[in-house]
Amino acid sequence: MIPLRLATDPLPIDEPLVVRLRNTKGADARSAVGRDATLISFADGVAEYDADGFSVSLRTPDPADIDGDVILFLPGQKSAHRVIRHRSRHNTLLVTEQCDQLCVMCSQPPKKHHHDLFPAFTEALELAPEGATIGITGGEPLLHKHALFEMLRQTRQSRPDLQFHVLTNAQHFGSEDLDALAQLGPTSTLWGIPLYAAEAALHDRIVGKVGAFAQLTKNFALLARAGARIELRTVLLRSNAEKLAELADFISLHLPFIERWAIMQLENIGYGRMNWATEFFDNSVSFRPVADAMNIAAARGLAVQLYNFPLCTIPTPYRGFAVRAISDWKNKYLPICEGCQETQNCGGFFAWHPEKNTFQNIGLR
Amino acid sequence: MRTWPLKFRELSQDELLFVDDAGGYFRADGAFLERYALGALAPEDRAFLERHGHSFEAQDDLQFTGFVARWAQRLSVPGRLDYVILVPTLRCNLTCDYCQVSRVAETARGFDWSDATLQAVLDWLGVLETDAIKVEFQGGEPTLRLDLMRAVRDYCRARFDHSEFVVCTNLQNLSEEAWDFFASPDTHISTSFDGTVDLHRQQRTKSDGTTSEFLRNIQRALALFGPERVSALPTIDAADPPAPEDVIAAFAGLGLRSIYLRRVNYQGFARKRYGLADSADAWTAYYRRFVKALIAYNATAEEPFEEYYMAHLLRRILRGRHNGHVDLRNPNWVGRDYLVIDYDGTFYPSDEARMVTRIGQVDLSIGSLGTGLDREKLTQLESEATHLFDPDCQHCSYQAFCGPDVIDDLSRYGRIDLPRPLTAHCQTHLGLFDLAFELLYSADPSVQRTLGLWLRVPELSPRLAPRLS
Repeated sequence: MIPLRLATDPLPIDEPLVVRLRNTKGADARSAVGRDATLISFADGVAEYDADGFSVSLRTPDPADIDGDVILFLPGQKSAHRVIRHRSRHNTLLVTEQCDQLCVMCSQPPKKHHHDLFPAFTEALELAPEGATIGITGGEPLLHKHALFEMLRQTRQSRPDLQFHVLTNAQHFGSEDLDALAQLGPTSTLWGIPLYAAEAALHDRIVGKVGAFAQLTKNFALLARAGARIELRTVLLRSNAEKLAELADFISLHLPFIERWAIMQLENIGYGRMNWATEFFDNSVSFRPVADAMNIAAARGLAVQLYNFPLCTIPTPYRGFAVRAISDWKNKYLPICEGCQETQNCGGFFAWHPEKNTFQNIGLR
Repeated sequence: MRTWPLKFRELSQDELLFVDDAGGYFRADGAFLERYALGALAPEDRAFLERHGHSFEAQDDLQFTGFVARWAQRLSVPGRLDYVILVPTLRCNLTCDYCQVSRVAETARGFDWSDATLQAVLDWLGVLETDAIKVEFQGGEPTLRLDLMRAVRDYCRARFDHSEFVVCTNLQNLSEEAWDFFASPDTHISTSFDGTVDLHRQQRTKSDGTTSEFLRNIQRALALFGPERVSALPTIDAADPPAPEDVIAAFAGLGLRSIYLRRVNYQGFARKRYGLADSADAWTAYYRRFVKALIAYNATAEEPFEEYYMAHLLRRILRGRHNGHVDLRNPNWVGRDYLVIDYDGTFYPSDEARMVTRIGQVDLSIGSLGTGLDREKLTQLESEATHLFDPDCQHCSYQAFCGPDVIDDLSRYGRIDLPRPLTAHCQTHLGLFDLAFELLYSADPSVQRTLGLWLRVPELSPRLAPRLS
């Protein structure tokens, strides 16, 4: 697993500090922001940097691994956050841990308190690598929509080359946001929005919120009118597996404006782990419900994709729909994967994939 | 609940196809038609219509928005000009019975681009706004002027981020330089093969020697470049067509995987020879036989076969934004996203328009390299670009999937305002869409297998054939 935090000595700061690490001094397009911290020394696994006059140290096996990373130091903390990793295509800002839904598969269960880091994230975004796509997630980011839209708006001005992928339950959009959405422009932002079933009662039960489906469908219509780009996300569960074909019908008829539909396997973490025994649907035993849904969506021209499905758990005709989308710091391969020729096309398993109660049929035959 | 207007078409005694303006469809019986027409829908009718996207509760709700989005996706939006057909020479080394393009003898003079024309073509390409270009070399026989094709290709590769080339060639008399030209991965071959060797000789190559030369060359092309880069189209006379099984066997024998059934297009020299006695009925009857034979072939074949146009119609029925085929789209814009430049630098909206003009029927040129696009002409041609307001099309179940073809109407009737049902375009497409829907609703596993292959889905879902009962 790639470390997302690095040990540091607490800095004498009372505000969050954002820097970009550079192994060698030199100016590039981002240096003008004035946040470059240049490597001074590296010994015994500790790299020391000069950040505009005062020094910061980070524990790392090799400073080359973190060259170009954008690092966030918080007052009093012994670890610094690699907010934007220079070499990764999967940089995600967790902007809040609050949420108004309690989804049965939540990988990041919500917390009550909110630490507002929007100003620091806005600074970090200014330092991101050219043309990067930045994920924004929570909790529910839109619970703080004014700060969120402000961050996106400012970044659109300072860094028009960046793209955003915002994961949201879409409960909190309103017609008052149409201006903000228009300001983001038609292509910069992809909204990743979950929809678990075509029936209100089932969707509401899965997300743990009464009325969620009604609000969601209303806001899908709003987002469509705004011309927003939408990635629909459906986690495969025992609760919704038998209803997936119906959902495919619903999506192709009522949500034809989406950019793609991602059908995702369950992550064994957070509430997903807690509910694993009741909600994990083993598609290596029965792929039928997923196949039915995909056959409807694909025939009607929707871009349908499978996320987090090890290739060997998918019947051959459907493997072309699998996308290797697991974040780079999350995937692992099992002993059985050794020698498999498909590993470079396969997302493998989540690092926290369980040893027991998992896919019955794995390994390419 | 409010229901979007439904158009219907009688299929049999008590079976009708209903289609809305966004292309949503279902089958139902005459009793439903009566309830619908009298405004006496049963609760089950309402539930069905709601579930299948034919109704909404309030303006701007999701059902409403989904419907209007699907409706809008059916419209072809003119993109940047990124597809150009170039005719570097009108000379040809064959004299096919029904020459599509009005060729001149191989030794004729004054039918090739001049140096100045070549330079004007390159200058014209240079100012296009697109980053990607597709160039199709037509003729005449374009391989007679490899030097001109090479100049265009070199220029495009340097000028555009992506470029792709198609050489429409008869695959006769090819020099090693021509084979070198074909060898680039960005270059494709499109040729004619009339379905069977006998027919090809009879209609095109005339002699055994020329025929075997063609066969040697197409085999060599397929061996070197594969069916991904080599395509062949048959030209078929509906009055005397080859047996579908023979055509499929001949195409498959060559290693081809796709066929685009094309009937003799009575234009150019073809019109003089065959006259106007082409019947849409004869053509759709043959088409039907052909598709049936193809389905039987695919049921057991290891390498399945596609009939391009029927596959395209099926995709247009099921999908929005499927406007890649310029001969069937609505609105059918003229001179916007693709253009033909003739051997003398004249612009045409399509290859057919070039032929119609050449035989002196009506001048469909839309400007030239020297004078630019003729806006006035374009406006005239685009006055019937959409069928949305056509009084016949408005009542047709297939309107959402179809598209007008002004050039075809002009070539056949010299006018663009005939009632649709009197045109060959309309008659043919009614027959083809009837067939497409029969296939979609077929319970025959071999039909479903072929449709799955053509739609690029592992299996055909029964939900694509909704029925209210």
